[in-house]
Amino acid sequence: MPGIRLRVDRPVTATVVRSIPADAAECARVLADATADRRTVRITGSGTKSYIGDISATDIELATERIAGVIDHVPADLTVTVGGGARIADVAATLARAGQFLPLDPPHADEATVGGVIAANSNGFWRARYGGVRDLLIGTRTALADGTVARAGGLVVKNVAGYDLDKLLVGSFGTLGVIVEATLKVLPLPETTDGLIARFASPGDAFAAADTVVRAAARVEACVVQRLAEGAWQLAVQARGGGPTVERALRDARREITARHGDATALGDDLGRMRELPARSIDGALVRVSLPLAASVAFAENAVRIDSFAALVVDAASGIARVHLVNDDDDAVIRDAEALVLAARMVGGAGRIERRAEHLRSRLPTWPTRPNGDFLMRRIKDAFDPAGILEPGRSAFA
Amino acid sequence: MRGLVALLGPTKVLGAHDDLLLYEYDGAVDTATPDAVVLPESTADVAALARFCHEHAVPIVPRGAGTGLSGGAIPVEGGVVVSFARMARILEIDVSSLRAVVQPGVINLHLSTAVAPHGLYFVPDPSSQKACTLGGNVAENSGGPHTLAYGVTTNHVTGIEIVLSDGTVVRLGGKAVEDEGYDLVGSSVGSEGTLGLVTEITVKLTPLPEDKRTLMAAFPTMDEASETVSAIIAAGVVPSAIEMMDQLATQAVEASVHAGYPLDAGGILLVEVDGARDGLEDARARIEEICRAHAASEVRVATSALERERLWAGRKGAFAAMGRLSPDYYVQDGVIPRTRLPDILRLVKDAGMRHGLQVANVFHAGDGNLHPLILFDSRRGPDELERAKAAGLEILTACVEAGGSITGEHGVGMEKNCFMPLQFQSSDLAAMRRLKDAFDPPGLMNPGKIFPTPSRCREFAFASTAR
Repeated sequence: MPGIRLRVDRPVTATVVRSIPADAAECARVLADATADRRTVRITGSGTKSYIGDISATDIELATERIAGVIDHVPADLTVTVGGGARIADVAATLARAGQFLPLDPPHADEATVGGVIAANSNGFWRARYGGVRDLLIGTRTALADGTVARAGGLVVKNVAGYDLDKLLVGSFGTLGVIVEATLKVLPLPETTDGLIARFASPGDAFAAADTVVRAAARVEACVVQRLAEGAWQLAVQARGGGPTVERALRDARREITARHGDATALGDDLGRMRELPARSIDGALVRVSLPLAASVAFAENAVRIDSFAALVVDAASGIARVHLVNDDDDAVIRDAEALVLAARMVGGAGRIERRAEHLRSRLPTWPTRPNGDFLMRRIKDAFDPAGILEPGRSAFA
Repeated sequence: MRGLVALLGPTKVLGAHDDLLLYEYDGAVDTATPDAVVLPESTADVAALARFCHEHAVPIVPRGAGTGLSGGAIPVEGGVVVSFARMARILEIDVSSLRAVVQPGVINLHLSTAVAPHGLYFVPDPSSQKACTLGGNVAENSGGPHTLAYGVTTNHVTGIEIVLSDGTVVRLGGKAVEDEGYDLVGSSVGSEGTLGLVTEITVKLTPLPEDKRTLMAAFPTMDEASETVSAIIAAGVVPSAIEMMDQLATQAVEASVHAGYPLDAGGILLVEVDGARDGLEDARARIEEICRAHAASEVRVATSALERERLWAGRKGAFAAMGRLSPDYYVQDGVIPRTRLPDILRLVKDAGMRHGLQVANVFHAGDGNLHPLILFDSRRGPDELERAKAAGLEILTACVEAGGSITGEHGVGMEKNCFMPLQFQSSDLAAMRRLKDAFDPPGLMNPGKIFPTPSRCREFAFASTAR
C-alpha cells in the first residue's frame, strides 16, 4: 500500500512574468530560457482548473491563448487539428457548421481549452459512449522544457508508429510540456437526443438499474447516479443517435427503472448540473475517485453516510465518482476526504482531492496516496524536465 | 545456458540448435536465431530471468505466438527469447466490473469464447485471433477489422503487470478506468516489448451486440469502392467494420475459401453494422443506398449467421490465401486519411509495377489502414525480397506524405525501424527515447526495434516528410 505523503512548502516567489507566446516555436523558446534560468512555469489555458494540484506561485505564467484556432478540419476524415489554446466551445462551433461534434463534455466546457482538457484528463459523462480524452486524442505537438517541439501520433485514426506519447500527456497537468497542437477524432452530429431522470429509494436499486443501462443493447451516451444531501437517489440517462435506437434505449431503461421501483420523468438540464459539480464546489472539499465498476455501489453507500457529505455524482459507465464534503469543522473535512481516497485505493481504484476551499489548501494535499509505478513517473518527469521548471506541485508522484 | 538452467531448471530452458531454430522467425520476413529460449511459468520466473539477464547484460525478446508482422519477436541482437506459451491462464473474469485478468499467453479468441456465456467479448480481433496472444496484442497495440467503431487494444486495456529489465515487478493501473499520475498503461501498450515484459493484463469486456447486419458490395473499380467508404462515414453511419479487397485478392480468396465474392469486381467492400436491433435496418438501408449510388454492381446482405461467417471467412483467410498467387508476400501496414484512398491505392499499384511485382490489397478501409500484399518468389533469388521491400518503402513514403503513418497495427519492429525518420523528426524520436530510458536504462528489452539503429539503418537517410 502506498503511504500518506508529507507536504513540503515551496517559498512563494514575488514577481510573476506573464508570457503569451504566439506560436509553438516561441513557446519552446520560453521554456528553453526558463530551463536555463531555472525559473518555474505555470501553464494556463482559460484557468478553469487552477484549483487542481498543490500549486504555489511560479516565476512565469505561460498562457496558451494565442496558440489557438482550428488548424485543420477534414469532415470526411472525421478528424480535427487545433491549437492547444483553442477553446472547446469554439472548436464545437466550427464542427457544428459541418454537422459534426467533438464527443467530449468536460466540466467548464464553456471556457476550457483543448490543451487544458488533455493535460487535466478532463472527461464528462459522454465517455460512456465515445471513450475519454485518451481514446479520442490521436496526435499532439508538445513544446518541451529543452526548447524542442516533439510530435507524437499523427492525423490518422489508427497509428502504432513509435511510443504513444499522446497517452503520456493525458492527465500530465503540464508537467512534461506545453501541448501546442492536438488532433482529435470527431463524429457526425446525431439525429436525436432524449433522456430521462428517475428517483429511487435505495442506492442498490439505482445502481442495479444503472448497471443494466450500461450493458443494454442500445448504448446510451450518459448514465449517471446522483445523490444530494437532501432527497432521493437519482439516475439520469441520455441517449443520442438514430430515432429508433434512442427510442429503444429509453424504453429499455424505463422498464429496468420500473422493475426496481423507480419513477422516471423527462430529463432537464440535470446532467449539466451534475457535470459542473467541480465548478460549484468552492467550499469544503471535492474528492474524485476512479473505481472498479463493481465497487461503485458500496463506495457510494459509504460516502453518503459520512458526516460532511454534501453531494455525490457517479458516472456509472466509467466508475468515476465525485463526492463533495462540507463541514464547519475543517478537521472533519480533511479526515473524510482522505478517508474516501484511501477507500478507493483499498478496492483497487485511485483518487485525489480535486478541489478544496482556499483555506484548506495548505492542510489538504491533492494526492494523499501515490500511484503505482510512481518511481517510473519520477524518472519520466526528470527525463523531460530535468530542471523541474514545469508545473511544480502538480505531480501525483512527487 | 548453464546459468539459466541452474536458475530456472531444465524444463524451462531450450538451448539445442534444433529447438532454437523454431524461434528464429515470426509472421514477417526477417529471421535471427536466439542464444537461448526460456519458457517461464510465473511472474517470479520472469523476474528471475530479467535479473539474470541484467547482471550479464543479455538482451531479452518477448514472444507470444509468433504471428507478428514486423519482426517484433526476432532476437536481432541475440539474447534470450522469452516465450509466454506456458503463462496462458485466464486468471479472473469479473463480470460485474466488465473486466478480465489474463496472463500474456492467453490466445485472443479464447478470451472471447470464455466470456461469451456472460454475453461479453474482447473487442480487438486481429485476423490472427485464433493464434495470436493477448500479450502480443498489448505489445503491438493490435487492431483488427472491428476496431473502427470500438477502438484498438489500447482502448481496451486498463491494467498491466510488467517486469522491468532489472527484474522489478510493477503493477500499473487495474480494473478502474484510470489511475492518478501519468498513464503508464497507455504508454506501455504498443511499446513492442521494448519497455518491459508484461506478465499480467487487465482488459475491458464489452457486451456482445444484440444483432448485426453484414453486407458485401461489389464495385467496377477500386476508386468507386474507396469513394463509397468516405460517403458512408460522412453520412453519419459508423459501421463496426468496413473492409476492402481488390480483384487480385478476391481471386485468391475465392480459390481457397469460396466466400462467394464476385470474381469480376474491381473492388469489394465488406461492411458490418452492429448494436441494438432497432437501428440496424435503417443503417443497412442507408449503406446499401450509398453503395448503389456509387455504381455498386451487386449488394448482398447476409441473411443468416452462416452466410455472415462465410463472408468473413473470406476476409480473415485472405493472407493465408495468398499462397495461391505467390510463394511469398511482404505485407505493408501504412495508414492514410480515408479521403486519400483512391489516389494512394493507384500509387500502390504503380509502385508494384515499377518493381515488376504484383500487389494484392486486403485492408481496413474504414480507418484508412492499408495492407498491400507485395507478392514475390524468393526461389528466384534474393533480389525478389529486396524489390518487394523497395516497393514497400515507396508505399510507406506516400502514406506519410499524405499525412499518415508507416504502421497502423503491425508495429515498427525491426522491419520499419529504419523508416521511423520518414514520419518523425529527431526531436520526436528523442522524446520517445526518454520514455524508453526511464523504463529500461540498460537497453536490454527487445533491442534493435522501433528506433533506427546505426548499424542496420546506415543506407537509409531520410528527412522527415511528415506534414
